[in-house]
Amino acid sequence: MQQNRTLFLIEVAIFSAFAFVLDIIPFLSFKVWPQGGSVSFAMIPIFIIAFRWGTKGGLLAGFLYAILQMTLGTPYILNWAQALLDYPIAFTVLGFAGVMSPAVQGSLKAGTTKRFVGMVTIGVLIGIILRFVAHFLSGIIFFGSVLEVGDWYYSLWYNGSYLLPAFIINVIAVAFLFHKRPKLVAGNEKKTA
Amino acid sequence: MNKLILGRYFPGESWIHQLDPRGKLVAAIYFIGILFFAEGWIGYLLLLGFTLLVMQMSGVSLKIYLRGVRPLIWLILFTVTLQVLFTAGGTIYFDWGPFTVSSYGLINGVFIFLRFVMIIFISTVVTLTTKPIDLTDAIHALLRPLRVVKVPVEDFALMLSIALRFIPNLLDETQKVMDAQRARGTTFGEGTLIQQMKTLVPIVLPLFVGSLKRAEDMADVMEVRGYQSDKPRSSFRQLTWTRYDTVSIIIMLLLTAMLMLVNRIGAYY
Repeated sequence: MQQNRTLFLIEVAIFSAFAFVLDIIPFLSFKVWPQGGSVSFAMIPIFIIAFRWGTKGGLLAGFLYAILQMTLGTPYILNWAQALLDYPIAFTVLGFAGVMSPAVQGSLKAGTTKRFVGMVTIGVLIGIILRFVAHFLSGIIFFGSVLEVGDWYYSLWYNGSYLLPAFIINVIAVAFLFHKRPKLVAGNEKKTA
Repeated sequence: MNKLILGRYFPGESWIHQLDPRGKLVAAIYFIGILFFAEGWIGYLLLLGFTLLVMQMSGVSLKIYLRGVRPLIWLILFTVTLQVLFTAGGTIYFDWGPFTVSSYGLINGVFIFLRFVMIIFISTVVTLTTKPIDLTDAIHALLRPLRVVKVPVEDFALMLSIALRFIPNLLDETQKVMDAQRARGTTFGEGTLIQQMKTLVPIVLPLFVGSLKRAEDMADVMEVRGYQSDKPRSSFRQLTWTRYDTVSIIIMLLLTAMLMLVNRIGAYY
């Protein structure tokens, strides 16, 4: 048990660092908007942790990634509510992809590829939809506070414009990676057994 | 990768360097907090003066600080432009459909610009003058009260320092794998989005697998050395709170008082 806990902490830490690295390397991310919001592989490590260790791991990895972004990256802070929604909350909720973790691991073990891809898609979708909700709300606050033209569809359009491609890319990438290397998701499963 | 100066420590002997990381962190967060309370010219000038003074005292050249602003300049200008175009009030200089350039909007634009720049400068002061490892210790110390409500603060601090420790490594490794792929004739940043994504899979896959392997090794090593996450640990580096740290906190409070006073005076003009 102890062994697993230490491994858990380290994996979460390294993969959060990974998420941060993937976001800042040129060519590995595509900035859609200058003020944050890029299509990149950065969310993949979070999803990997979420599928490996379940929701708890995913939430923790997401939160840590948000802290890294806020302390090392270039956070875009206008006011407190917006900062909270855009960083800690938005990235932490990605971890809810982990609710599909048992289903993903089960179908991977059973070798049912179609079901497996479906489960991964649902998991990633859950994470990204929740993240979208967080950014969407913060967008309403942003457009509402800075401009007086504030309306919900600005936020919808702005956040959707990078999160929709990000969703497609992440589903493809995560499913493909897991398919090629089942060990990525099932690694710790063997350990407990 | 040289663009990334945040999180890059600049060794130095200045007064700011020697402050306790806990105090420094609290002071910086506090300063960012009071930025939002500034009203009017005098208030902003006061805070800007203070920021510049602190930057001067850190002994790091202004060029380094400006480099930190550069990647953000577009988003700052974007926000400022929106602010200028969509705020009406005062004298109107230009009016076209929904867009107006007014004196009120221009002033607000300048204020928002200043606020952004000050947030960046002050947080850069902290990261340039504090070793990342000291910052982790400071975060650990400041979160310690949360232990009462059963938050695993120790674990969190450990993860944060591991993550910080591994970022440079992972950066290097990623570059290496990318170079290896380049040597095989892969070109990055060309073609459609899907094509670009395809070239990236052979890069991230070995990195993920390698990281998992490394995490496992590291966990084993820590086990062997007797690490237990639920036991209290002592620290090799001890943080010491000195008179100067108390002084710096008092300065922050004085600054707040001055700001409140200036806001009051500004209200009469």
